[in-house]
Amino acid sequence: MSLILLLVVVVAAGAVLSVQAAINGRLGETVGVLRSSLLTFAVGAVVTALLIVFFEPAHAVSLLDVPKWQLGGALFGVVYMMVMVGAVPRVGTAVATVAVIVGQLGMGMLIDNFGWLGNPAIELSGSRMLAMACLALALLFMYRSNTRQA
Amino acid sequence: MQATSLDDAAAPAAAPVPARNPWLRLLLLPLVILAGMGLSVEAGLLGPLGVQVGHLWATLSIFGVGAALLFLLLLLSGRQQGPAFSELPRWQLIGGFLGPIYVVVLTLATPHIGIAMTMIAILSGQVGKSVLIDHFGWFGSARKRVNGERWLALALIVAALVLIARG
Repeated sequence: MSLILLLVVVVAAGAVLSVQAAINGRLGETVGVLRSSLLTFAVGAVVTALLIVFFEPAHAVSLLDVPKWQLGGALFGVVYMMVMVGAVPRVGTAVATVAVIVGQLGMGMLIDNFGWLGNPAIELSGSRMLAMACLALALLFMYRSNTRQA
Repeated sequence: MQATSLDDAAAPAAAPVPARNPWLRLLLLPLVILAGMGLSVEAGLLGPLGVQVGHLWATLSIFGVGAALLFLLLLLSGRQQGPAFSELPRWQLIGGFLGPIYVVVLTLATPHIGIAMTMIAILSGQVGKSVLIDHFGWFGSARKRVNGERWLALALIVAALVLIARG
């Protein structure tokens, strides 16, 4: 897959994610965060399982063959959810959002740069730093325009 | 499989409980940053896993383990408030169908463009979507005039994406 096409797909996934967040936010308000998350994860598991049954080709390596630490990804998602539930009302949504993005991008850069967790090492180049600066500015402008409207 | 919900950052929080104790805030912030770092670790685990066992299997490991953990948490946390799922409007239940799209794309993308750039592209999608939805009034939302600052934000996002594409 070409890089441009891949980027378009990832950006689209970001849009999908924010639609999902909006729907789940509404759901969480009525049934509670635990129940709305369980619904999301359970439906996600069922949908993925169905897709695997009908579309996934056989692989030489199965989930049970890889080192167990590679399967721990979901733990971080669940811990994230619980931290946000506890922290957002106390520090405010805007501060929490910025803190999450800082952690996300910082850790992302570290993993990329050193090739941790079995990822290919990607050196932190000038254009990558510029990209990050552009995003930081964009978020700043979004935030300013939002607070002005509110 | 989590969103840093930028849209929520936009809306004033429903019932903000400002921390009286500034020390509590100081203690909580590193915790929130750590939680954000966890999201990148999650993505970092997904990429190599997807290459080895297949993208859908890697996705299933996230949703399967997550669902199991949440089920146990729910079981241990006693009686829950709110209506049954069957009483909710159907469209509120489709979040679960959208989640796998995001996770599959994560497993696909991180080995090629890296985790930090994947996260930037995801955030770009979130920002771009909210600007475009407001401007064109998609999905039945009220059509709002998008001010200069938000167009500037969108332009910066596009610039960031071009920079990533160039490598």
